[in-house]
Amino acid sequence: MNLSKIKDLLRIVAESGVAEVEIEEQDFKLVVRKSVPTVTLQQAQAPPVPYYQPVPYPPSMPYPAPVPYASGMPPGAAPPAPAAPAPPAAAPPAPAEASPSAKPSPSASESNGAAAPGASETIVRAPIVGTFYNSPSPEAGPFVESGDTVKVGDVLCIIEAMKLMNEIESEISGTIKKVLVENAQPVEYDQPLFVIAE
Amino acid sequence: MKKVLIANRGEIALRVIRTCHEMGLATVAVYSTADRDALHVRFAGEAVCIGPPASRDSYLKASTLIAAAEVTGADAIHPGYGFLAENAEFSAICEDHGIKFIGPSPETIRLMGDKSLAKRTMEKAGVPVVPGSDGVVRSAKDGRRTASEIGYPVIVKASAGGGGRGMRVVQDEAGFDRAYTAARTEAEAAFGNPDVYLEKFVVEPRHVEIQLLGDGQGTTIHFGERECSIQRRHQKLLEEAPSPVVDEALRQRMGEAAILGADAVNYEGLGTVEFLLDANGDFYFMEMNTRIQVEHPVNEEVTGSDLVEYQVRVAMGENIRRRDVTVEGAAIECRINAENPFNNFSPSPGMITAFHAPGGLGVRVDTHAYAGYFIPPYYDSLIAKLIVHARTRELAIRKMERALDEFVIEGVKTTIPFHQQLMKDEAGRAGQFDTSFLETFKLEPVEAGQEG
Repeated sequence: MNLSKIKDLLRIVAESGVAEVEIEEQDFKLVVRKSVPTVTLQQAQAPPVPYYQPVPYPPSMPYPAPVPYASGMPPGAAPPAPAAPAPPAAAPPAPAEASPSAKPSPSASESNGAAAPGASETIVRAPIVGTFYNSPSPEAGPFVESGDTVKVGDVLCIIEAMKLMNEIESEISGTIKKVLVENAQPVEYDQPLFVIAE
Repeated sequence: MKKVLIANRGEIALRVIRTCHEMGLATVAVYSTADRDALHVRFAGEAVCIGPPASRDSYLKASTLIAAAEVTGADAIHPGYGFLAENAEFSAICEDHGIKFIGPSPETIRLMGDKSLAKRTMEKAGVPVVPGSDGVVRSAKDGRRTASEIGYPVIVKASAGGGGRGMRVVQDEAGFDRAYTAARTEAEAAFGNPDVYLEKFVVEPRHVEIQLLGDGQGTTIHFGERECSIQRRHQKLLEEAPSPVVDEALRQRMGEAAILGADAVNYEGLGTVEFLLDANGDFYFMEMNTRIQVEHPVNEEVTGSDLVEYQVRVAMGENIRRRDVTVEGAAIECRINAENPFNNFSPSPGMITAFHAPGGLGVRVDTHAYAGYFIPPYYDSLIAKLIVHARTRELAIRKMERALDEFVIEGVKTTIPFHQQLMKDEAGRAGQFDTSFLETFKLEPVEAGQEG
């Protein structure tokens, strides 16, 4: 094997798609390996969904001020439902799970599979204890359904407590993404009712 | 009665849930968002979140409690102690909604809640009350005359007063005028109202109360007395039954007097009549508590009774049939608070990292705490009641010492070291103390790291 032969060999290897050549003759062995850059197809990744831990209760956590609830007030004057508390800043990214199924907060209604809201989604929560009604009367159609657009002040539902029908108004404008409770279902304080996308 | 909603939290909520379950009654717990991990929520049949942490928006909010009862179909509400337990209006609201309030009627609660009205009612019924002037004393001359009728020493008290201000103790007639003027001046300055009245000053008073049960249908019985003189700023820290200075004869007289008062208002439910007991063995009505009290376990232990069960039965309309209540042995209760006794009893909320409650014969721990529990800062600091029962008071003290030594609570400061020192106090062990005991009790500081 002389130098010109080695040069030829190198040229051939370089120009071809061959990755590795090994030549063995009586008194020498030549191995040529080409480092081939591997091309990987990147999947477009969804931004990591913030995983909403149930807030480990630190007393310093500012809690959204409870809106003083005055029952029996005329429509339009009922206080709006408080928005969900802000997630802790250091929330770890979603663990390697197929779908983000993190729950926004522990409550009796977990079985309805409330998904963690995305960045522009708000959970509307019950400001009082009572029975949830999705329409103004049994004969009437629902106040809102999934897909509807709502603006600030629109009535989302009624929560009945002690024979008083309390209208729950929306605090934000947006689109109803999901209705989380069923008509005539008892609800507790803070229970998630709607997911609204802004 | 089928389902009871417990309108309370902490150890008493768990206490009521336990008896209800033993009686076959369904239970509903209510909780603020700060109490999501509370034990009473875990062990009740159902639980309803009723509001944010602040009591006024949750445990004190009648509308949310009634709503919770409605959505769960509860037909009775047990108010526990504190919160709305002695709120006549809440009792009435329950009535209006067809929910049985486990306690006395709104009228009785109102009556006993008005301290001077309660005193007058008891007096009319023949219950001994602290002798005093009939209302405001208008002149030093009138005062002196009333004082000699009552008998010295007397105390001049501001009508609009409280917190120990506008008060003067007068030992004899010679010092009366000066004390009268001084009290009036202080009352004017502190409360804007110089009016004062007189009461007999009970010397070396002990706070001894009688545990009662009335069925509102003509029968009232008592479960003996409780000695509650160990108080710090009017907060009880330790209670015992029986009182070391009450013999059977005195117990009978006090019990009868208490029943007399309860019958005068046809009392329904558990209740406690508080007396001041002086060194001569004379006792005077102070006030009546129309609820179950924190320290009810000591009477349960010495009489073998489940007071919550009786309370619920009476609310269900049952007549009292038991007549054979006898006091056996001695019981002591130490209130374990999440407070640092070496730093002026400052509150110590936070995460309990280790929790081991003592056990063994005659040892009872009523608690809602557990390892990993975060004590919220919004409510009172009581985290456990350690109760012991033994054949004699000496044995009970020894058992309490052993149990306190075994009680491990880490992560927060507690009053366990305080109680350990209290158990060693000579006067305490001898049963020789009155309500001023803790004013002179010296807590020995411990080295850092030994504070338990």
